[in-house]
Amino acid sequence: MTFRERLQAWRYNLVPDHIIGEILEKRWTDNAIPFVALIATVAAFGSQIPGFFSLYSLQESTRQLGEFSLVVIGLTVVMLGGGIDLAVGAIFALSAFAAIATFFIFALPVWVAFLAAITTGIIIGAINGYLIGYIRLRAFLTTLVILIIGRAIFEILIVNYGSIAQMSQVSSDIWDYIGDDIILGFSVPVLTTIIVAFITHIALTRSRPGWHVLAVGGSRRSAHNAGINVRRTVFFTYVFSGFTTGLAGFLFATRLSGTGIGTGHGLEILALTAAVVGGNSLGGGRGSVIKGLMGAVIVLVMTNGLIRLGYGTGTNQMVLGVLLAVAVTIDIRWLKNRHKVLNEMYVAPVYLKMDDAPSAEAGSGTAFELNNRLSKARSIGLGEIEGPEDVILDRNDHLYCGTRHGEVVRFFAPDYTESEVFAHVGGFPLGLAFDRDENLISCVGAMGLYSITPDRKVTRLSAETRRSFTSIVDDAVLRDPNDLDIAPDGLIYFTDSTKRYDAHDWTLDSIENRGTGRLLVYDPKDGSTKTLLDGYRYTNGVCMAHDNKSLYFCETWACSIHRYWLEGPKAGKAECVLRNMPGYPDNINRASDGGYWMAWLGMRTPSFDLSLRHPAMRKRMTRRLPQDEWLFPNVNTGGVVKFDDDMNIITTLGDLTGLSHPSVTSMREHKGQLFIGGILNNRIGLYDIENADKNWTAPVAYWGEKS
Amino acid sequence: MKLVKTLISAIALATTALTVLPAAAQDPGPVAYKKAMQGKRIVMIPMAMGFDLAQGWAGFLSREIPNFGGTFETRDPNWSVEAGAQAITEAIASDPKPDVLIIMAPDLNSYSKLMKRAQKKGIYVFLIDNPANFKADAFFGGDWTEMGRIEAREAVRACGEGSSKEIGLVQGDQTNATSLYQYAGIVEEMAKHKDYKIVAKPDSNWDATTSRNVTTTMLQQHPNICAIIDFWDGDATGAAAAIRDAGKSGKVHLIANGGGEKSADCDMIESGGYGAVVSTSVERESYDMLALMKHLLQSGQPAGTSSTYIYTETQTINKLTMNANSCWDLKALKAAAKK
Amino acid sequence: MNASSFNQERIVLIATILIAVSASVFLSGFLNVPNLISIVRSISVLGILALGMAIVIIGRGIDLSMVAIMAMSVAWYLQMINDGYNDYLALMLVITGVIAIGALNGFLVAYADVPPIFVTLATGLFVFGYVRSQLIPSDAVAVPHGHWLELMGQFRLFNIPVDVFIFIALSFAAFIFLRFTKWGRYVYFAGDNPAAARNIGIPVRPMQVLRYVLAALISFIAGLLTAASLLSIQTRVINSNLLYDVILVTVIGGIGLSGGKGGVRNVLIGSALIGILLNVMTIADISLLSQNLIKSTILLAAIILDGVLNPRDEQTAQQGDI
Repeated sequence: MTFRERLQAWRYNLVPDHIIGEILEKRWTDNAIPFVALIATVAAFGSQIPGFFSLYSLQESTRQLGEFSLVVIGLTVVMLGGGIDLAVGAIFALSAFAAIATFFIFALPVWVAFLAAITTGIIIGAINGYLIGYIRLRAFLTTLVILIIGRAIFEILIVNYGSIAQMSQVSSDIWDYIGDDIILGFSVPVLTTIIVAFITHIALTRSRPGWHVLAVGGSRRSAHNAGINVRRTVFFTYVFSGFTTGLAGFLFATRLSGTGIGTGHGLEILALTAAVVGGNSLGGGRGSVIKGLMGAVIVLVMTNGLIRLGYGTGTNQMVLGVLLAVAVTIDIRWLKNRHKVLNEMYVAPVYLKMDDAPSAEAGSGTAFELNNRLSKARSIGLGEIEGPEDVILDRNDHLYCGTRHGEVVRFFAPDYTESEVFAHVGGFPLGLAFDRDENLISCVGAMGLYSITPDRKVTRLSAETRRSFTSIVDDAVLRDPNDLDIAPDGLIYFTDSTKRYDAHDWTLDSIENRGTGRLLVYDPKDGSTKTLLDGYRYTNGVCMAHDNKSLYFCETWACSIHRYWLEGPKAGKAECVLRNMPGYPDNINRASDGGYWMAWLGMRTPSFDLSLRHPAMRKRMTRRLPQDEWLFPNVNTGGVVKFDDDMNIITTLGDLTGLSHPSVTSMREHKGQLFIGGILNNRIGLYDIENADKNWTAPVAYWGEKS
Repeated sequence: MKLVKTLISAIALATTALTVLPAAAQDPGPVAYKKAMQGKRIVMIPMAMGFDLAQGWAGFLSREIPNFGGTFETRDPNWSVEAGAQAITEAIASDPKPDVLIIMAPDLNSYSKLMKRAQKKGIYVFLIDNPANFKADAFFGGDWTEMGRIEAREAVRACGEGSSKEIGLVQGDQTNATSLYQYAGIVEEMAKHKDYKIVAKPDSNWDATTSRNVTTTMLQQHPNICAIIDFWDGDATGAAAAIRDAGKSGKVHLIANGGGEKSADCDMIESGGYGAVVSTSVERESYDMLALMKHLLQSGQPAGTSSTYIYTETQTINKLTMNANSCWDLKALKAAAKK
Repeated sequence: MNASSFNQERIVLIATILIAVSASVFLSGFLNVPNLISIVRSISVLGILALGMAIVIIGRGIDLSMVAIMAMSVAWYLQMINDGYNDYLALMLVITGVIAIGALNGFLVAYADVPPIFVTLATGLFVFGYVRSQLIPSDAVAVPHGHWLELMGQFRLFNIPVDVFIFIALSFAAFIFLRFTKWGRYVYFAGDNPAAARNIGIPVRPMQVLRYVLAALISFIAGLLTAASLLSIQTRVINSNLLYDVILVTVIGGIGLSGGKGGVRNVLIGSALIGILLNVMTIADISLLSQNLIKSTILLAAIILDGVLNPRDEQTAQQGDI
């Protein structure tokens, strides 16, 4: 190994580049920008203003923040639903007045004042919602007019009743308590905000009405076509906004015990700014309560901070303007370019030096030498199926395979000309196996481990395992379950090829070449899934050894076979039993003579082997070239190899013409015949094996004769 | 009995003080003054800092307060009631807390509770210019009702016998105390002049464009109007423009109300835009504030117990009464502050 | 009359005529030449701003920075004159600044794809904040004695103030621009379907910048006019309802916020409604507060009627169209 290569190996295998891509893929990175802005704002003003962080000062000065945040939460929900609510400025003022009037003029109890404020908010919200949701008026214009009407009414009320309210001698401990006191270290508005924000967040992310709001905001038409009652959903977003704003108005009333003509003036612009600075997008569908809250804090700390520092008129607006412009621009650019950045950043190749392999070329004289025998295989279902990754036969000789369309297709014995869709699973059914009760168990790409009963009932067995502590991308999810086999005790051993890519992106995983493949076990008794092994370069085929004391599994991009011991002194340990094959191994299945059939997905090429030693080159390739010009592993030539427990290569089968079976991903021996599947193929091959046991079938070998 | 005791002890105390410091023929006043005033924090929160009155007060106060070792700060809510309320809240909660809060309330109610709270915390609260439903330690400003009476008197004087005796009002709005009290004063005074009548009384909402539009309409509907009273010099430029546009300069006597700033008031009278300005002197208000501040801070009287009203004398500036001292000059004040 | 022909424009037109007719009958001071002139004059600044807003809205945008540009550009200009700058230099500086802000609006909308409502909200705040805090010392700036603005403000032809002529001239210019020039037609194409407009080779983005620059310049003219007639400019106008009024005047006459529809005629109808309404209410000595209530209730009635008569469809409504 040259020094340059060693450097490359260190650089690309030790520096965890992939983490950047994984972090960027997280939804919460959306919050990173407003969060940083929040920290920066609080830090800047906190350090400038003496006593900013003193408990008493925080408790007092955050009362207004509590009220404001409630308004922003309401507005956020409306914006998530694709609308906008400018009327909050009027709702706030009228609710505050309703509370003041009820309490001070009519001398009613505090709870009546509370109800009056909330009711006022809800009624105006309902008017907005009715006009926008049901009559389908435009949100901006409608709430603008409602704002002006509401404020006009408010001003008239203030003129006529404002001073009467102030002359009132009514007082109440509860009223003052809400307005002035501290509970558990928090003022009432802050406490209320925390509760409302929590409930709203849960409702939006984990409840049906919340999802409806997001769906309507994300795509109104699709939501409508999906049967969501769009109008009612929109209606309730405005009612909710009215409710939270009414609540804020009530808290305002208790805090100041008075309203004036300026109450709530310009609130709508400030709230809108806050919602947007937090990262909620106009037009709906994207955003969260947390973002709204962050925006509220940023905006208020900034405006109040600048006033507190004694800056003159205008400084506030200047800073707010710049803040808003920068926030929105970053938000929009980020949203637009996120996928591009992610695509560029995500693939993070590592260094691997593959040792030279024995040749598989015809005439080379090695054990792996390929021949042309597979080209003589007959075809089953030619042109009728797409992508039979794995094939399997049951006790009645019927043939099953998965397809690209998420179906399991059954071909009927004896001639396999008739077929039917046995079951629709979805995803991409890959590895197949029958259990003792003749349920068909399948590893379904992008979905998980599924079981199909003989009467076609599909159930999910497992879709996740325990998450590892260091994971960034959620590795509990099975992204690419690939092949499985079942032990006599019913435990299902299966592979999940990669944690970093979805099943259909397996080629990207080959370019990255990072070891993230796993071997897992599913226990049907308690339904648990455990990770046995981790860190292999694309784990693939699994096969129980004939004595059931160990199992074999392939590591595709490393061109190796491993043996995992279930019993004996090495139980729980894996050892590499065959390395440096000239082909990329796929599924492994039992042969009648005590050996094992192994499929070769494709053949190693010197060029790709070389590229594995140049991760920088592969990185450049993924960033600068269009995908169809990338260097991939060769999957144009594959084959079938039989080996025995001592790792002797017994026979090879190939299709040098490349016409019928260029790439092979699976094969099953059944009554002297070999059925051949290929993930990129449009047929199943049928090959007569010389000198094979014509009575041997896998179900019998695994589970014995049917009683 | 108690009184006697106190007297005796006071005399005793005084004698000891005198005997201890016989040689230093020092006046104890300045020391006591210095001690009481040193490091006092005065915060002013007007409705905004961007207009002549606020800048005038700030100009005079910031010149004087450092002289006794105090600090003076202003907050600029820029006409936002919410921001003003928050500024007061934060001032009360700040550390060290201010000793005097000077507040210009936007309306009767909004700040009342906060100001009460400030007093509870031991902060003296001064109200300036705008009355509020709250017992401040001191109120400084014009007597708005009286100003209304003076404006009405000026209107009656300017119209004179033989005129149409029709007077128009351009009010501010219906919520601000200054507007409401001025109106009350005008109505009260007009009752004494039965032959005069108020023909229209639209609101300007303190906006010059609105003032112009309503005045234009008023002049069309009542072409014989002989005087118009606009409630604030900030928007009276609009009324002046309307009068000028109608070609009635000099025929309609425009009376405005202001703080006596040169470019806002005296210059406008000079140019004939305004007929008269009824003004309260910002300078005098500022010095009144200073005097009372000094008194309260030395007296040790608890906040919330003083309740003093200091009405600044109003003067009517018109072409006849105007002289070099009628107005104060904001530009000059600022220039002086820079030096 | 079927529903589609009974659109918002006609509803507003009919309402305007109804109000005008009943005012002529019941209010003695309404129907005379001076009052009619004063109606046009009172609405002229609002109408001019609405023309600029219309050009932007038809091109599927919105400009919330107009009032700020109007007040602050002129305030800065007057401040420079008061500080003794050369008049031409000051004017050049201000026009450059106005164009720069318009171009910034357009750039952020067209090239950075930021929704115009936020871009212009932000630039509006910034323009006010920057000029107010850095360039002018107080809320109001007066027109210096003998300045050409003062002369302009006092200019009369046939006893009609100059505002009226400028409003009419700008309306006509906007009409010619939108109806008969290539760039004007582009406004409609881009507003109706920006993607299609781009596909047929219209320079959609530069045109968008142009529209915001035009709106900014129109705002500046409106500001000059305000200063000319009041002899000062009050920057507190930012805090008023003027901006909302401009949007309402623009939209109430039938220019859809989703773009591509309407023209100068709609602005004039909207202006007429608001102008007549305000005038009638002032003559009737209705207080300002009630005026706001009445005005906005009529506006609400108009948009509700339009919504009921011309309902939007779930399938064709545009995403993000608020």
